[in-house]
Amino acid sequence: MSAVPLEWVLMLASGLFCVGFFGALSRRHAVSMLMGIELMLNAVNINLVAFWRYTQPDEVGGIIFALFVIVVAAAEAAVGLAMAIAIYRTWQTVNVDSVDSLRG
Amino acid sequence: MDLVVQIMFGVTGLLILGAALMVVSVRNIIHAALWLIACFFGIAMLYLLLHAEFLAIVQVLLYIGAVAVLVLFAVMLTRQIDDPDEPVLFQRWRSTLLIAVLLFAAVLVPTIYTHDWQTFTDPQPTFAGPRELGFAFMNAYLLPFQIAAVLLLAALVGAIIIAMEDQEQRRVRVLTLAEEVALRREREPSPPARSAHPQPTSSSTTPPPVPPAHEQAGEGA
Amino acid sequence: MYDVVDFILNTQLGLNSPDWVVMLISHLIVVAILFAIAPVQVLFLTYYERRAIARMQDRVGPNRVGYEGLLQPIADGVKMFTKEDIVPVSADQRVHLLAPIVTAAPVMYMFAVLPWGPNMIAVDLPTGLLFFFAISSISTVGLLMAGWASNNKFALLGAMRAVAQVVSYEIPALLSLLFAVMLTGSMSLMAIVEAQSGLFISTTDVPNIPDLGLGWFVFTPVGFLAFVCFFIAALAEGERTPFDIPEADSEIVAGYMTEYSGMKFALFYLAQYILNFLLCAITATIFFGGWQGPGIAWLVSQSLSADNPAGNPVYNVLAGMLGTFYLLAKTYAFFFVMVALRGAFPRLRIDQLMNFGWKFLIPLTMINILSAALWIAITRWGTAQGFGIIEFAGEPSNLVRWLIAFAVTLVINVAAYWFLARLNIQDHVARQAALAAGGLAVSPPRSA
Repeated sequence: MSAVPLEWVLMLASGLFCVGFFGALSRRHAVSMLMGIELMLNAVNINLVAFWRYTQPDEVGGIIFALFVIVVAAAEAAVGLAMAIAIYRTWQTVNVDSVDSLRG
Repeated sequence: MDLVVQIMFGVTGLLILGAALMVVSVRNIIHAALWLIACFFGIAMLYLLLHAEFLAIVQVLLYIGAVAVLVLFAVMLTRQIDDPDEPVLFQRWRSTLLIAVLLFAAVLVPTIYTHDWQTFTDPQPTFAGPRELGFAFMNAYLLPFQIAAVLLLAALVGAIIIAMEDQEQRRVRVLTLAEEVALRREREPSPPARSAHPQPTSSSTTPPPVPPAHEQAGEGA
Repeated sequence: MYDVVDFILNTQLGLNSPDWVVMLISHLIVVAILFAIAPVQVLFLTYYERRAIARMQDRVGPNRVGYEGLLQPIADGVKMFTKEDIVPVSADQRVHLLAPIVTAAPVMYMFAVLPWGPNMIAVDLPTGLLFFFAISSISTVGLLMAGWASNNKFALLGAMRAVAQVVSYEIPALLSLLFAVMLTGSMSLMAIVEAQSGLFISTTDVPNIPDLGLGWFVFTPVGFLAFVCFFIAALAEGERTPFDIPEADSEIVAGYMTEYSGMKFALFYLAQYILNFLLCAITATIFFGGWQGPGIAWLVSQSLSADNPAGNPVYNVLAGMLGTFYLLAKTYAFFFVMVALRGAFPRLRIDQLMNFGWKFLIPLTMINILSAALWIAITRWGTAQGFGIIEFAGEPSNLVRWLIAFAVTLVINVAAYWFLARLNIQDHVARQAALAAGGLAVSPPRSA
């Protein structure tokens, strides 16, 4: 694996993280925000796997961590999308801007 | 051989980043979800390049097979009439973009290139297959494993409760047209709870809802 | 295949090709063989189904093209090729084009881990079983794309139904296969097949059983329950009757395929039949010993290998042919069961389908996993693993252990089946009573 230095993988992961960050903060659609968060979680996963591969390849800790992140992401997606559907049912919209009945 | 790996890495990286950019920039939300799937697939390829075979398969099974399909499903269930004038981004998207670019260029890249990562020059190819992972889950990581199981259960119950319709509104069978009309007329005088709220600005023009498709068949169970 | 290519390229031609070139060429050859054979015999499957279903419905079926209609699939293929490719004006053009490809391509990948005979497998992945189902879950994305891009409500309804069904039934399918992973300690399909040698009793449980290649998992209570659950789930995954609600032609035209014609429609059709074939093949592989059968063990022992350099390569070929024959025979038998079910059963309603999957199949497969764990404990564990209770009357022989395990798991599985079936029947009766009471928008009373 000396062909691809660790820095390249980290650059890729951080780029993906920033793209996901931008998406999560600036899209109006609730499901789009969730997609941004999924991208960020995946970027973190790439980091974990890369560090496992390049610095501690004799243990499985990195992979285990990535698996836990996937589990949490799946749980988060299920609850988040259920919330999107519940919001749509009440407000007939999924624009997070419009859901502001708690604004003082 | 090195060059082959580098080319593969480059193609994978371009796929991941390009697809991710399309996810956050494309107008049509279904297209965004499809680009998200492409991005997940690229990440699975990257895991294969990093010798994390099991994780790549789990990525395909869970992210593409479950999460992405769930996203597509949710998008289709919450479809609204597409208004081409409505912006897809918040008004403050420029400042968000600035923050994201700064985070990347001013924080992450310098950190990555100035830190001395103590990498193995030629790491031994260990194999993290299902057997090794299973032993790790059952020994060193037993408690996190159990907590993850509880978390999944809680998420399952929570998602069902949040998304479930009211018990009174659930129907045990598909209605005939006459019954449907009668029911709608019966409901008409008493407006639904939603209109007690001030109507949201962006969608005030949407007509009173036809009962959503998922109410019509008793598929909730 | 690697050895053969290596021999020809480097020894015969003296090209000194690097390792990865040899590997690439050998894999490409295997892939070419698989891709050439798979669609052709799937074409034959359509003919097989049409003839069989015609027999059940007291018809003749296609018998004009070629001898007894054997060339009918080719005629159908020519017809598909020459049809006009119609794309609706309001369709999402690119997604509409991509959808059949996304549906059909992953199905072909599933051939990669299917063992055809002794040492005959394209890639013996250590995670083969998981790979099989991970790849198959990609095609659901293709179905959603097709349903949405067609811009047709029948297509969208069909896609929604298909995805809800496939995603729900993936869970019992995977859970019911877990017992094989537990018993063999491996997810490699080759290892799972090899563990099923023996005669009624697997040689992994009792080593001195004569090896006739008949120690199939389906002969144990654990395996039998898992087989029943898996086959039902496979019917739902392959969208076969009685679970064909995604394309219920009397309700929603053809589901997600409504707006497709010509070659794109053919791709959907092909993907569906390949998927059905593969699901039958995986059932045969995991529960019915795959390529195992009488005679294989003897042929393998005579053949040329690293352990047995004096063997005759003819026996390698014979063992491979016999193994492929056994696998295909079992697969076609299961496909016939699918066809017979199509001829015999009406279609389920979507809520019946969901109730059956979530309230009956999933709990049943969970209990089956418990039985599998008990099976392993009783047949293999002793005081060292904290299971000293098995040695209350001295060290039991393997056969006694096997008998105890058989009895215990049989009792557990039958009791679980009986209990769950009763619960579901009570639920059903309550629903029917609520319906008969004229409940319009009333849900059935919750039993405390």
